[in-house]
Amino acid sequence: MANKIRGVLAATALMGVLAGCGGGNGNNAAPNDANQGASSSPSASASASASPSAEATGGGKTTVQFWHSLGGKNGEYMDALIKRFNDSHPDIEVVGTFQGGYDETVTKLQQAIASNTAPDVSMLERAYVQMFADSDVLEDMKPYLDKSGMSPDDFTAGLMGHSYFDNKLVSLPLNRSTPILHVNKTLLDAKGLSVPKTWDELKTAANALADKGKGQYGLTMPYDTWYQLAMITQAGGKFFNDDKTSVDFIDNGVGEKVFAYLKDLQNAGAFYYPPQQDSGNIVNKMFTEGKVAMMYQSTGSIGGLMEAVNFDYVTAFLPKDQEYANPTGGANVTILSGSKNKDAAWEFIRWMDTDPQGAQQFIVQSGYLPFTKAMVDSQEIKDLWAKEPNRKVAYDQLQYAVDTNMDVAWPEVMHEFFSAIEAIMYDSKDIKSTLATFKKEADRILNQ
Amino acid sequence: MNPEYERHPIRSIADYALKGAVVLVFVFPFLWMISTSLQTFRETMAFPPTWIPASPQWTNFSHAMQAGPFLTYARNSIVVTASIIALQLLVMIPAAYAFAKYRFPGRNILFGLVLLAFMIPGQVTFIPVYLMLADWGLIKTLLPQILPFLSSAFGIFLLRQYFMQIPEEIIEAARLDNASEAKIVRRVMIPMSKPALATIALFSFVSHWNDYFWPLIMTDSNAVRPLTLGIAMLRETEGISNWHILMAGNVVLVVPILIVYLFCSQQIVKAFVYSGIK
Repeated sequence: MANKIRGVLAATALMGVLAGCGGGNGNNAAPNDANQGASSSPSASASASASPSAEATGGGKTTVQFWHSLGGKNGEYMDALIKRFNDSHPDIEVVGTFQGGYDETVTKLQQAIASNTAPDVSMLERAYVQMFADSDVLEDMKPYLDKSGMSPDDFTAGLMGHSYFDNKLVSLPLNRSTPILHVNKTLLDAKGLSVPKTWDELKTAANALADKGKGQYGLTMPYDTWYQLAMITQAGGKFFNDDKTSVDFIDNGVGEKVFAYLKDLQNAGAFYYPPQQDSGNIVNKMFTEGKVAMMYQSTGSIGGLMEAVNFDYVTAFLPKDQEYANPTGGANVTILSGSKNKDAAWEFIRWMDTDPQGAQQFIVQSGYLPFTKAMVDSQEIKDLWAKEPNRKVAYDQLQYAVDTNMDVAWPEVMHEFFSAIEAIMYDSKDIKSTLATFKKEADRILNQ
Repeated sequence: MNPEYERHPIRSIADYALKGAVVLVFVFPFLWMISTSLQTFRETMAFPPTWIPASPQWTNFSHAMQAGPFLTYARNSIVVTASIIALQLLVMIPAAYAFAKYRFPGRNILFGLVLLAFMIPGQVTFIPVYLMLADWGLIKTLLPQILPFLSSAFGIFLLRQYFMQIPEEIIEAARLDNASEAKIVRRVMIPMSKPALATIALFSFVSHWNDYFWPLIMTDSNAVRPLTLGIAMLRETEGISNWHILMAGNVVLVVPILIVYLFCSQQIVKAFVYSGIK
């Protein structure tokens, strides 16, 4: 596969000439005014003091630029983590900067790497790790790990799936999540149903809980590839085959089984598939309102849901077909190989992963999954799980974690898979022929 | 006006009903935003939706504003937007004057080029522009948010149309009185096209004040980021967003637009009425 980052740049390079011309037309009087406006402002603010020191490496304090994608409450927890690190490290200053959502951070990293303005450390959504690693811009952290007396075995195995590329340790888990079944147990109890453990039980329960008159559904899930991925592996398939030359869930009938299952429930009025835009918020809201009894959704929603619901809310493993299986999600952390402060960057990651004041606090506050064995064994996490068993279920499910969609080409194939999901779930296109079309496209992408 | 037409009761009822419906469609999201900004988290998640919060949560605003360096964001937004408007007017007025009133070879081709150069969307040019500005070492300043917007094709176009309606005789009269070209622009063209200038300034203000994509791409530190990015930061990447906090941030973002609009609205109506009559 060609170097993607450079590819994007080459394709737009021509446009750059045009844009340069456009911007250069008739602006003689301008730059002076703009300079005054710009230069007077950053110096006036206190927060600006961080940026000029970024280049200063000899001045005693090393600055580590850290890009992340955490907004809202989780962003505040991350800021607090960075502050704890800076307070305990007089010689290093980590500057954490929010760079938009996961996809936006990826775009920003691509352009920043090309223009040598990349940060030292970045959060990277796990599905993009392979793509960046393939461009050889992520540092191998194994030597650092060895130097610090740590081992990859210190981490939760189910979350290490995206960490290796060509035998190099290119990323480590940070804010990781996984899809899980969220249940309104009050509604299930009213019908005398128990929490479903298999697809068959799920189907029975969803149908029993559906009530068209009240506009109530049995099951829902956000618009995403995650949940279909989970179901494909539960039914014994794999998204990509082991050689990554084709998809491995269509010829064996697994894909058809998954979509037929969902489609049957949808047609019976038991399954609600939300519109694309803001689907995650829509299903969360329906669940808290009691309009849907069960929901496939990220573990990242547990904290917010517990705060919002006023019924008996429990979580459970995603029901199994042939076996229990679930993909993982969220983001990893990585050191950019262009960094000039790799030792300081590593110290930040080492501290996060090993110090009880590091990521462990962030995990407890945010509800993301603990990702080292030391965290899981800590009294703090044990207390948390005793208080909030819903979070323990999420962690326990990781024993079945399997990511079968790992490949450099995944971001591209993902778009095709989304198209197939849309065609089947929204337009009720024929499942078999839609999946056949998808396979043809996927094969083309994988073999180019 | 036809008096018969004015008096017909059904017509005026239909008139008001239609106007009311249009107003509702435009005002409703604003009201919902304001209402949500004063609710508690539980109220934002309730169904049926909460219309009027039980007790207004003014602390949502301080919570939103303390979530990041919002003073810096606000200052950056103001500096960037004000600089863009000032520079655009500086570039556009002479350009539009030349295109409207001068006859010179290649005028139409040049005007076509102006329109063409700005029809390329930012999504196509952002990577090369970023690389260029990074190369010049400007990424840690506000300039990447200002320089690419020194001029706007829409503004030059609108202003040129407006200038073309100003009678040649007035300009001739000024020239007879020995007025320089600069003076003609300053004393004749600008005063006579205030509505158009106000419209252009307002459009420019709204689009750059609200811009999210360009500053997101062109900045990588809080010191140079505008309000829109600060507000996007209030949103959860995964999990359940705190809509009440998010909406409080949005209210803060929108209020300046409403204030500016109040000042400009008269002029804007004039601008469109004039260009419609001629």
